[in-house]
Amino acid sequence: MIYNVSHRTAFEYEQSVLVSHHLLHLSPRPVPRQNVPQASIAIEPAPTVRTEGLDFFGNPVTHVAVQVPHQTLVVNAQFRAEILAPEPLPLARSRPWEEVAETAALARGNEAVEASQYVFDSPYVATGDETYEFGRRCFPPGRPVLDGAMDLTEVIFREFKYQGGVTDVSTPVTEVLATRRGVCQDFAHLQIACLRSLGVPARYISGYLLTHAPEGKEKLVGSDATHAWVSVWCPDLGWVDFDPTNRVIPKDEHITLAWGRDYGDVSPINGFMFGGGSHKIVVGVDVRSVAWS
Amino acid sequence: MSVTVATAPPESPVDIASLVAGYGAAPGTYDELIAPDNSIRPQWRRVLGAFGAMSAADRTQARETARRLLQENGVTYVAQEDVERRSRPWQLDLFPLIISQAEWRALEVGLIQRARLLNAILGDLYGPQRLLKEGALPPALVFGNPEFLRACHGLAVPNDVHLHFLAFDLGRLEGGQWVILGDRTHAPSGAGYALENRIVASRCLPDLFGLDNVQRLAGFFRAFSENFLQLARRDEPLAVVLSPGPTKANYFEHAYLARYLGYPVVEGFDLTVRDDRLYLKTVEGLKPVDLVLRRLESELCDPLELRTDSFYGVPGLVQAAREGQVAIANALGSGLVENEALVSFMPDLCRFLLGEDLRIPGIPTWWCGRLAARNHVLASLERMVVRKAFTPRSITGPAQDTFVGPLLAQADREKLALHIMRQGYAYIGQDVVSLSTTPVWRDGNGLRPGAMTIRVYLAATADGYRVMPGGMARVATSTDARGHWHEPTDLSKDTWVLSDGPVEHRSMFTQGHHAVRLRRGGRDLPSRSADNLFWFGRYAERCEGAVRLMRSLVTRLAGEATPSARPVTLDRLVSLLVMQEHLSQRRAKRAIDGGIRAVESEMWTILFDPEISDGLARILSNVRRTAELVRELLSADTWQIIKEMSEVSDTWKLTPGQEVGDALHLLNRLIQHLAALNGMVMENMTRGYGWRFLDMGRRLERVRHATKLARDLTVRGDPESDGALDLLLELADSSMTYRTRYRAAPVLAAVLDLLLADESNPRSTMFQLGAIEDHLSTLHQAQGEEVLSPAQRAIIGLRADVRLADMMQLSDPGAKGSARVNLERLLRRTEKGCFDLSDLIGSTYFSHSTLQRVFGPHWTEAAEAAA
Repeated sequence: MIYNVSHRTAFEYEQSVLVSHHLLHLSPRPVPRQNVPQASIAIEPAPTVRTEGLDFFGNPVTHVAVQVPHQTLVVNAQFRAEILAPEPLPLARSRPWEEVAETAALARGNEAVEASQYVFDSPYVATGDETYEFGRRCFPPGRPVLDGAMDLTEVIFREFKYQGGVTDVSTPVTEVLATRRGVCQDFAHLQIACLRSLGVPARYISGYLLTHAPEGKEKLVGSDATHAWVSVWCPDLGWVDFDPTNRVIPKDEHITLAWGRDYGDVSPINGFMFGGGSHKIVVGVDVRSVAWS
Repeated sequence: MSVTVATAPPESPVDIASLVAGYGAAPGTYDELIAPDNSIRPQWRRVLGAFGAMSAADRTQARETARRLLQENGVTYVAQEDVERRSRPWQLDLFPLIISQAEWRALEVGLIQRARLLNAILGDLYGPQRLLKEGALPPALVFGNPEFLRACHGLAVPNDVHLHFLAFDLGRLEGGQWVILGDRTHAPSGAGYALENRIVASRCLPDLFGLDNVQRLAGFFRAFSENFLQLARRDEPLAVVLSPGPTKANYFEHAYLARYLGYPVVEGFDLTVRDDRLYLKTVEGLKPVDLVLRRLESELCDPLELRTDSFYGVPGLVQAAREGQVAIANALGSGLVENEALVSFMPDLCRFLLGEDLRIPGIPTWWCGRLAARNHVLASLERMVVRKAFTPRSITGPAQDTFVGPLLAQADREKLALHIMRQGYAYIGQDVVSLSTTPVWRDGNGLRPGAMTIRVYLAATADGYRVMPGGMARVATSTDARGHWHEPTDLSKDTWVLSDGPVEHRSMFTQGHHAVRLRRGGRDLPSRSADNLFWFGRYAERCEGAVRLMRSLVTRLAGEATPSARPVTLDRLVSLLVMQEHLSQRRAKRAIDGGIRAVESEMWTILFDPEISDGLARILSNVRRTAELVRELLSADTWQIIKEMSEVSDTWKLTPGQEVGDALHLLNRLIQHLAALNGMVMENMTRGYGWRFLDMGRRLERVRHATKLARDLTVRGDPESDGALDLLLELADSSMTYRTRYRAAPVLAAVLDLLLADESNPRSTMFQLGAIEDHLSTLHQAQGEEVLSPAQRAIIGLRADVRLADMMQLSDPGAKGSARVNLERLLRRTEKGCFDLSDLIGSTYFSHSTLQRVFGPHWTEAAEAAA
């Protein structure tokens, strides 16, 4: 699939902001099976300082300082992505989860060292007895790790209600586990916490999802949203994605933007400013498939 | 090792053996003072001799002086375990710990090696990570450690020095072997306390300190600062101490070090990043900052790239450091190598990175991320101390735990074992070690052994790492040598390192570099400090006004006013209290209805009741609170006056049958304190920007107060006959001036002229406004502006208004009995003018905008994703 994605964020401030600093994770990283021939981020008013780079996880990151007084700030990210669906994976033939945990713990060789950093608690994902117990339901001794991960994906989908507005980024995983409600980010954090409780490396993926208009209706521009799912490490097969919000292994309708330990590492926009008073944010995301590959 | 004692003990024939007769070192432990053969170790003999020569009275006085000095200097700390973060007085055991030069030299070599090693580890882990790639260090100890700041990976630091100032906690085991109990690399605290301990101990025990060749501390700090300042890219660099602020633990020390080094102490709020460069917001505008001595935790330093829920830091600081525009000590992320889980890897790391054998071992530690170590810990749980290997930095999670094996219940031990089996990497086990004991002079009588640890400090200097010759010893008051199970004790000691030769006497302020820095000190006034000084000035003046008012009212209530002062009516008195916001309308009405006794009782409440919201206690506490915020800018004497003044309120109580004499005594004391404070500010404070803001605050408040009084006492009625003018002159401290000038009973027009318009009267409104105008124009010129500022316009307008006023016309009551409308209008305009001016000064010089965060996305809508 080939997609044109646009992600426009407009901040409106009650009072003028003298200086603002923003860190943007809005350029898609290169990923196997995902090619990005074109990407750009336009910012209005024009930043005084703009630095492009890669963060610790290899995600493109844009550091922006706007030093002229401004009451609005518009960040317009656009890119084209070409995505190939993966071959169906032999989930049941993946390694037992205990072996995966052991390999990650020993961390021999570059790939295992790299994977090992995703087994630890991170600022938004704290493990504990609750996440361990919940995870163990899907991981009896000897179960192939991807089999268990798929099962966990289905359990979260089945037992949790997608509901916006009841959680925010700082909602602890334990609370999500208790209330059984949340959004894609909460489900991703929960699944990651369960996997890490068992020692299985799991990371957080920030991206977009192609949505489909109800039958017979035109799709509305800007009606899409950013999305989040997880990726699980398996020594033979590498990283395999799971989307607990939609009970799927992503194929060619998930567009990857960035990955990290949790939301905090890859928040699309993180900004700080002095003053400004109250603010309003308007976000419009549009994912269009332009051709079949 | 052999240590020769240079000279014989002092002349007085003191039997030092008798001093230690009942000392009682525990068998089996190493004692610093007494050798196993019961002899006194040589390095102690001279100090002990001098100590023995002190009379009982001398000793008592030394202890008393120490207690008083610590209290007067306001040396406080906040214990780590105190969740309410209350300040506690610092506890010093005066009797020092003595270490011989030879022993110290051997120790120094090992400490310097360890500092180099930790710096090299940081250089590798924030750079090429060979240690991970070549398997020398398990990745869990880096990636699992919340102190590993990913945003700082690849960030080059000047001269490859990550650690500019670090500390080690040392202990000595039974066999006499020193061990490292802990590495302190992120922003080690205690150096300021060590300095204060030294100052107090050397002052209180001059005979002991003067006697021995005790190595001095100042040279160490100077070497650190010289080297640090040289990291800057400019010739006249600006270095700051970045602190989380006065409300946080150990602010005392931040301010203390800042003063000692001659750097301003700032908070994140005082700084801003523009063009990837760090700036200090000063009253002169933005000043580039080259160097940051960080006392704020790394992860809180930049919410943009580090911990996003922190509002203590400076957005963009990491980027400025990345661009090489600012050097930070210690480098961001230095806390990574504090980790105890690293201890067992240190010997290997030392060989790997330095090609040397590790000189000073750590205490035996097992990291449960490795199978063999985990099994060892699980098998020895009931005699080990187990800790979480990493302090959780979760934004949402619980806090750290320590598990003392021998004290755990069986069920808890089993639960711990389960967690260790599940997530071994997150735990370490340590043997319980027995530490050496040293003399503690705790009850003031004899010396007793107490288990000790020492925190020693190292700094990067031009010649490599250097050890501070001394340290902060901490002692347990019990002989339980295993005290480090728990939080270190509250009792500290100075450590004296002896020198075989004469020591060099150097102070911090002898070098050219510092002279330059000190001159600049007055100019780099952070906007926040200006703000606080302004308000300190206002509260101090408000306090003075209130105290003078109350004193005048109390004397009149009691009918004890001087013969020339006529009594005022009860109504006038009560309405003044209402006007100055000491009394509510409702309470005032009740008091007047109740007659003179009821008014008196209200008066007593305002004076003596600490609970009442608009009483004297509250006014004093406002002075104290604002003074605390600018403490580093006030002289020690000034601070002392403020402290004593605010403590006056602790000594009085609201008791029935209070006498007028009590109240007058109290108020007179306060007026003396206030006079002393004014004297300090006028005579001893350098005429920098700080003084100007303080003075503007005072004068603005004085005008506001005087105008209100005048309005209440002169607008209505017949002030010439009801005593109001006498009172007004008295409150404005202008009675004498009036009498010498007019030699007659007060006349309204003349009083108004003297108090409002007369520029030669230092208490007049015009005089205050003139001084404010002068300050404003000096500040404005400093900003390099040509046209008048809005604040200048406002003050010129205010002055013209008062100057143009016709006092004869204003004092005419017009139609009989009606109010002096024009006078009231003028006074109200002046009052409002002061109010507006205060705002204008605020918006021009103080930065009040708060930091806010925006982030996205939020999934608040039910964005039903399709599958």
